[in-house]
Amino acid sequence: MPLNSIYRFRLSLIPGGLLSILLLFLAFAIFFILFSNIDNKDFFSSIITSRIFDLVRFTVYQALLSTLFSILLGTVLAWALTHQNSFKSRSYLIALLSSSLILPTLIVVFGIITVLGQNGWLNRALLYLFDYSFENSIYGLSGILIAHVYLNASFVARSLLHVFESIPKERYKLAKSLNFSTIQRFRYIEFPAIKLSLRSISSTIFLLCFTSFAIVLTLGGSPSYNTLEVAIYEAIKIDFDIPLALKLAFIQLSITIVLVFLSANFKVGISDIKTSTQKIPWLETKKLRILQISIILFSSILFILPLVSILIDGLGANFIKIFSDIVFIESFITSLIIASISSILTVLFALLISDTRRNFNINHRIKKTKFRSFINMIIAFSGNIYLAIPSLILGLGFFLLSLKFEAPLSYWAFGSVLCANILMSLPFALSILYPPMANVAQRYDKLSFSLNLKGSKRWLYCEWPYIKSSVLYVFALSFCLSLGDLGVIALFGSDEISTLPWYLYNLMGSYQTKDAAGVALILLILTLSVFIFLPRIFTRKKDV
Amino acid sequence: MIKLLKYLTCFSLLITLLQAEENKPTLVVYTYDSFAASWGPAPKVKEAFEKTCNCNLKFVSTSSSITALRKIQLEGSNTKADVLLGLDKSSAGIARNTNLFINHNIDTSKLDLPVKWKDKEFLPYDYGYFAFVYDSLKTKKVPKSFDELLLMPKNFKIIIQDPRSSTPGLGLLLWIKKIYGENADAYWKELSPRILTVTKGWSEAYGLFLKGEADMVLSYTTSPAYHIIAENKTNYKTANFKEGHYGQVEVSGILKSSKQKKLAKQFLEFTNSETFADIIPTTNWLYPVVTTKKGLPKEFSSLEPASKMLLLEDDDIEKNRKKYQNEWLNAIK
Amino acid sequence: MFNISNLKYTYKENEIKNDYNFSLNVKQSEIVGIIGQSGSGKSTLLDLLAGFLAPISGNITFNDIDITTLNTENRPLTILFQKYNTFEHLSVIKNVLLGINTSFKVKEEEIKEAMIILKEVGLDGFEDKLASTLSGGQSQRVALARCLIRKKPILLLDEPFTGLDSNTKEKMLELVKEITEKLKLYTIMVTHDLSDCEKIANRVYKVENGKTSIFKFV
Repeated sequence: MPLNSIYRFRLSLIPGGLLSILLLFLAFAIFFILFSNIDNKDFFSSIITSRIFDLVRFTVYQALLSTLFSILLGTVLAWALTHQNSFKSRSYLIALLSSSLILPTLIVVFGIITVLGQNGWLNRALLYLFDYSFENSIYGLSGILIAHVYLNASFVARSLLHVFESIPKERYKLAKSLNFSTIQRFRYIEFPAIKLSLRSISSTIFLLCFTSFAIVLTLGGSPSYNTLEVAIYEAIKIDFDIPLALKLAFIQLSITIVLVFLSANFKVGISDIKTSTQKIPWLETKKLRILQISIILFSSILFILPLVSILIDGLGANFIKIFSDIVFIESFITSLIIASISSILTVLFALLISDTRRNFNINHRIKKTKFRSFINMIIAFSGNIYLAIPSLILGLGFFLLSLKFEAPLSYWAFGSVLCANILMSLPFALSILYPPMANVAQRYDKLSFSLNLKGSKRWLYCEWPYIKSSVLYVFALSFCLSLGDLGVIALFGSDEISTLPWYLYNLMGSYQTKDAAGVALILLILTLSVFIFLPRIFTRKKDV
Repeated sequence: MIKLLKYLTCFSLLITLLQAEENKPTLVVYTYDSFAASWGPAPKVKEAFEKTCNCNLKFVSTSSSITALRKIQLEGSNTKADVLLGLDKSSAGIARNTNLFINHNIDTSKLDLPVKWKDKEFLPYDYGYFAFVYDSLKTKKVPKSFDELLLMPKNFKIIIQDPRSSTPGLGLLLWIKKIYGENADAYWKELSPRILTVTKGWSEAYGLFLKGEADMVLSYTTSPAYHIIAENKTNYKTANFKEGHYGQVEVSGILKSSKQKKLAKQFLEFTNSETFADIIPTTNWLYPVVTTKKGLPKEFSSLEPASKMLLLEDDDIEKNRKKYQNEWLNAIK
Repeated sequence: MFNISNLKYTYKENEIKNDYNFSLNVKQSEIVGIIGQSGSGKSTLLDLLAGFLAPISGNITFNDIDITTLNTENRPLTILFQKYNTFEHLSVIKNVLLGINTSFKVKEEEIKEAMIILKEVGLDGFEDKLASTLSGGQSQRVALARCLIRKKPILLLDEPFTGLDSNTKEKMLELVKEITEKLKLYTIMVTHDLSDCEKIANRVYKVENGKTSIFKFV
């Protein structure tokens, strides 16, 4: 049996292939459910009212601004960090930037409010020092932008830093010998290197901000600052106006699907690759050095302050009161259970799908034809459907299903939160696990076949050692993403089913700030510990 | 991890044990958070009612009464609610349209309300007047009418509630509608820059106000009574508007799907009893619907009285609520 | 006698189409060199021999037994690849043992055998070292040891010494010659470096335009 006979790989095709089909089926099912609930007359009569038009306009507007500012700040920070690569706490700062991805959005919001709110640290300090406080409140567009930039600029900075550092040092030497100015250096050497990444990162961030929910929900402040996602939520939860929710869902879906197709080469490149401390053979002028250091300092303060504020305010909370609240305990346990199940399933699905997908990307397995590339794309897309179908729409679909089938709402709630969490982590999981798996196949296929190394033995000797750290990273990542997620649960949250973020959201809403700070601190510590320690525990045990 | 599992198993055993003890029927009342809170009417009401009913009274709290209604709608036929308490006269129409409630068949002729009560599905339990509350120590000058509110300086901020989810929010919407009629959305456009934020429910808004985030918050003429009686603070006052204040009559209703209809009716009758009427003023800080021998606490007489109670016609509200809400949404951009 | 006659294969990808027709033979204790430019089809030939590709027509016979339709693992041959020959996280001896036993339980005799072969390839004392700590030449020796422990008569070498420094390469070539003669193997060495063939090959074929032809040294 030759290497390029697909029969040889049938076992790797089936599970992953089925999963891909299942995911695509889910997408279609959601569409179908939404579609079949439309009351034709009502729907098409006024599909674009002026209010819906304003919603779309604001959603796009805030996403554009957020993306722009995030890219600007992230790029500048990455640039500054590249050239200042020998200060003491550099690795800590970079770790902080990497962790912004897993920080629960509510934590970020809470921290921002504590620092920048009307009654926050900044205003209180200004009042004390200069008897002046900002008129504009943190609620509204400014709050949304700040929170988005906080989360995304750090992601941009981390991703671009990696790219900057991959620029061969010889190019800098060449530029120096040609007497380039800083601007020329950026224009001819650095910018071309980051251009491609910038494009894919921007489209990713735009999509994320376009479908952003928790931030707009909490910092929006009034209905005039609603995005489509929040409007769908309000239509269901507050107005119980299902036709309106459907209308909004369809409009949002049509936009996101177009966006996902446009950014087809979407790559979410997160890696825990160590950063290089190789010096760039170009000593910056004193002015530039000061500029870069100030950028780094400013960004560090910006990123750390909200977290520190949670720590300080949280420590003053009444933990006995919090822990004796039954709803807190229930939310805590529910969150842990959902996070565990969803991360295990995410890892499993990602491995199976990657196993299938690499058949369609390696020349010696299947010949390179248009058909092969097509299948490759379909499988990749199936892993990324979450980007096209954001959580509230998923929630709406599940909710409509729950109306048809008579199971208690809490079962549907549990299922849809679990489903949303898996779908949400899958794109990241695939982008992290797929490259090493493809590499292993590329390198070791021939050797494995010649040694008759198949099935579980091949996994053990060949695959597992090379993807072990990635798997643990993905597990920790999915766990934290699920733990801190405020999406579908907002729709279904109630006395019977509650998660930690939902519990925190309700505390914040009733302005029990002291308790909220305590819970926020608990959530923050939990998330950070899992993210930092989980991969380490396992690698230390097995790594002998 | 193992410790957590142990905790879980102990915990679930405990829960099942507790539930085994209850062979008395349970009446479930969905209501808004400040009613169900430990500092609200709920504990005293529960104590008093359970003495007479031989049952368990359970309150389920949500951020507002309209949210409670939506929760019931979301839960569909599986809802555990027997009674919905907390909607008001203006929002009763929303509930009525869901066809989820039944007639209470209780005599309302002897109630002590500023208006005659005709609603067959919903029964009043307290009432009040909407007003803006301010801190006289922090804010020296307050408007005496809606027109004057527009003349306040730029940094004079107010906190209001969303009319789609909160009865005070809806009340303000109808209040302005009553005074300005056709020009209501023009008024809202002018008022919009002074709104600090729009919250989902009353407690969020009031909590924000107490934190010092704004100058005034939409609440009730009787809110200062809480600060006087419970906190001994006299600096919280209400702004008396010369056009009059919009009224709120809070009601409760029985769910069609309830399996405890008899008990529910008993509860509704209880809300018109003197016992209940004595609890309300110092826990819900509103006026009871029945005059009692004890009468109102003496501090209530120091409150700013409303010049008159404004109300829109019920069928006007039921027909046009959605329209008014959309006007509001468009106006406050 | 290892015989390949008129092995035909067509490679079609996008717009490129290449037809191959290979014929060659190898005698016992003989080293046959195969040279050719990059892209001439050397790797295709090796893939066909190894069983990674299936030919359109023609046959491969070994001592008059037709092995054309056999799977790679069932053919009487073993391959030494150019790179990624060892599993870096395993020890040297485990890498070698994988040649005969892929399960977790290893027999005493097998370990003894592996030790002997390691000595043969000059890696005495290296048994417990991790494969990731080895140099290029040492890695290839481990791979060679694994090939030998399988006791297959045919040894295929796919440019295995590219990238090694000339001293190490010299030693490795010597080792191959020594082992071919000692164990009476049928060795085919694919390389792009003519001097490798000059040193140890008994006969050389040249692959050009998809066809094999005898190459004569001048």
